[in-house]
Amino acid sequence: MGGYALRRLAALLPVLFLVLVIIFHLTRFIPGDPAVTLLGPGATDVQIAALRAQLRLDEPMGMQFLSYLGGLLRGDLGVSLKTGAPVAQEILLRLPATIELSVLALLVAIVVGIPLGVVSAIRANTGFDHAVRLVSLLGVSMPAFLLALVLQLVFGIALGWLPISGRTSPFFLDDPVTGFAVIDGLINGDGEAAWDAFRHLLLPTTVLAAFLAATLGRFVRNTMLETMGEDYIRTARAKGLPERAVFFVHALRNSLLPAVTVVGLKFAEMLGGAILTETVFAWPGIGRFMFDAIRNRDYPVIQGATLVFALMFMLVSLAVDLIQALLDPRIRKRMAS
Amino acid sequence: MKFGKRQLASLLGIAALPKGATAQSAAARNRILVVGVNADPAGLEPGANRAEPIGSEIILNVFDTLVAWTPPAFAQLEGRLARSWTVSGDGRVFTFALRPGVKFHDDTACDAAAVKFSLERTRDSNPFMRATFGLIDAIEVTGPLELRITLKEPMPVFLSLLAQPQAAIVSPAAVARHGAAFNVNPVGTGPFRFRSYRPDTDVVLDANPDYFRGAPRLARIIYRVIPDASTRRLELENGGLDLVQQNAQLAALPTQDVRALRGRAGIEVIEVPSQIIRQLEFNNSGLQGPLRDVRVRRAITHAIDYDGLLDGVLGGTADRVYGPLPSNSWAFDPAIRDLAPKYDVARARALLAEAGVQPGQLKLTLYSFQGSLWGAVATFIQANLAAVGIEATVAQTEFPALRALHVAGRFEVALDGRQPWYNDPDAHITIGYLSSLADSAMTFRMPADAALDALILRAQTTVDFEARKQLYFQVQRQIMDRVPAAWLFSNKLIVFKRANVKGLVVNSAPPLNEYHGVFKE
Repeated sequence: MGGYALRRLAALLPVLFLVLVIIFHLTRFIPGDPAVTLLGPGATDVQIAALRAQLRLDEPMGMQFLSYLGGLLRGDLGVSLKTGAPVAQEILLRLPATIELSVLALLVAIVVGIPLGVVSAIRANTGFDHAVRLVSLLGVSMPAFLLALVLQLVFGIALGWLPISGRTSPFFLDDPVTGFAVIDGLINGDGEAAWDAFRHLLLPTTVLAAFLAATLGRFVRNTMLETMGEDYIRTARAKGLPERAVFFVHALRNSLLPAVTVVGLKFAEMLGGAILTETVFAWPGIGRFMFDAIRNRDYPVIQGATLVFALMFMLVSLAVDLIQALLDPRIRKRMAS
Repeated sequence: MKFGKRQLASLLGIAALPKGATAQSAAARNRILVVGVNADPAGLEPGANRAEPIGSEIILNVFDTLVAWTPPAFAQLEGRLARSWTVSGDGRVFTFALRPGVKFHDDTACDAAAVKFSLERTRDSNPFMRATFGLIDAIEVTGPLELRITLKEPMPVFLSLLAQPQAAIVSPAAVARHGAAFNVNPVGTGPFRFRSYRPDTDVVLDANPDYFRGAPRLARIIYRVIPDASTRRLELENGGLDLVQQNAQLAALPTQDVRALRGRAGIEVIEVPSQIIRQLEFNNSGLQGPLRDVRVRRAITHAIDYDGLLDGVLGGTADRVYGPLPSNSWAFDPAIRDLAPKYDVARARALLAEAGVQPGQLKLTLYSFQGSLWGAVATFIQANLAAVGIEATVAQTEFPALRALHVAGRFEVALDGRQPWYNDPDAHITIGYLSSLADSAMTFRMPADAALDALILRAQTTVDFEARKQLYFQVQRQIMDRVPAAWLFSNKLIVFKRANVKGLVVNSAPPLNEYHGVFKE
């Protein structure tokens, strides 16, 4: 399996290159000139032309792409047209916030979605099942911004339990160590700061996890019900296995295979949702950073952030494949060959 | 079992645990002002500042300028780092005497050499100031606390520019120490010292206890970056923010939010007239078809229901603009109020008929910025135009794209506007209407017009105040005769604050506030 993982990692490179080609050209098709945007009102043609030359936007697109690619091979993602800071540094600064949020949301979605789906299937057509189906329908169809607003109003304003926005309270000014706010609080021995950071995570995590948890719950319920109709389940029951073993050893394991695939696919959608969630909750992650970059036509940042998103998605896909191999001996066998 | 708030809380594991930061001492927090802003400052460096509002305001609180506008009227300049100054009769030589004993936050002295260093640095490095500071011929240090600035030609607006963030005085030692990183490590003489900047999160300033005008009453200011308008509103209502400014008009709170907050207990809404102008403008250097006829353009200005727009769409958050200058400018000609077009559908139809334009014949694309407020204004005007037989299609376009269309002159009519970045009629008139600047971003794209250009340049350079004012009166009338736009409204500057925040005097031109005298009760 190690060989397989290595082969898959190597295969990431051409895909990343393709992503790069597409995004490099797409960003330049968006109307609007970064030099005009950066210089503000009252800028003259001469000033705009000078800035375009300084930012090397006046070179042919092929040349621009080659020099970008050259930089990339040296680990240089270019500099932000807006701030002048290296893009890699800007992304690294914000990446922990996005990873913290999306990984936690992924875990919450799995921990909540899968058990709900399983119990719903076991108790199909009972009151519990109907309630879960109703809630998951809401979770799938409710737009993230609306859910965010409702949660902010209920838990932030009406009950006053949780902070409405931000990653930490503005009164904590500890220097970052790892960039992960909760972990930093613990490392600094500042339990209050860690707890404060954790409280700030709850609402955005819930919003981000809601869609995936609901999708997963519905999916697992359906596949479980399907699996329960299979011949081998009848065989298991016929040979007198306790119902618990039938469910958890035979049915669940087989139902989880497609669920893992769904998690992988929906993770990409969740990253897209992170852009909106990070904006609403003033979360300083790369989703929001990318959104701002698109508005400012900050080409190097758009390219860099897209690469990071693509990479995250591909790594999750790889993880999904490996987990499937762990769950299914047939896949393991195919991988080995 | 009754399942109440407490049970739900313990289920979520929340109530049992301490409330963290929110439990900080109330007294300490009461000396911290939390200001909500919609975006990061573009930079904290006077040498690169392009009048972006958030960075500019922070600069004015961390640095000092030679002179500043005197609150609350902001009609007269007072000395800040300058103790006194004189201007030569020809308006070219400015002599400044500096306040003694002023120190930068890094404990170095603020003297004439530092002022020379700062102004020359901005002149040489800030493209935004090239047109104005480019006219500086020489800055001479004539004593430890004295300097003389000589201009190549008279520029009455020069003192006003010296009050701007671009002209803030920086610590030469800190510039040498930080190099390009001075942008995020600003060191000035101002009432607040820069403490930290976390991108997309906050900028923190601490009080400067040694400030030469007296230590500020606040201990700290935190600018929190919250991009979403509804989140800013919730934070303000919840006490997470003490103050929210409507400083970015494109990301402003919807008017219904303004209405809702006006009546909210614990929140005060400050509304003051601004010098912002919003207009429906024509592509004046590329007029096509019937729009080339001034009668057709005039008909459009009569078709618009100005009062309906102010009351119905903008809910009293804006004032009427009658011509090229807002009515609170010192150069505004009061007679313009009567000369300005009035809503008159019959007159509009008659003018169109006179110009030979049949109902339904004129079809236009009306470009507008994105956002619900702009959308509402565009739709309202679309209906006004339809009532006189002009068919307009609204195209709401993202800001960079609209600006690109504008600079390239690829539009017929567009909603547009300008927030002047310094307190002088020149900020609207020269940039907006001088034909040589037509192809710059966001101007009225005026066609070559020797007479008008000459008049604008004379008004810009005339030293005598009264004579200058009279020249601007003439400029306004001449521009209005050419009907380059229908001037619509001027957004009020709106600041939402918690009721316990006191001492804030809102500056209107430009809308950058100083927090030196602000405190929380």
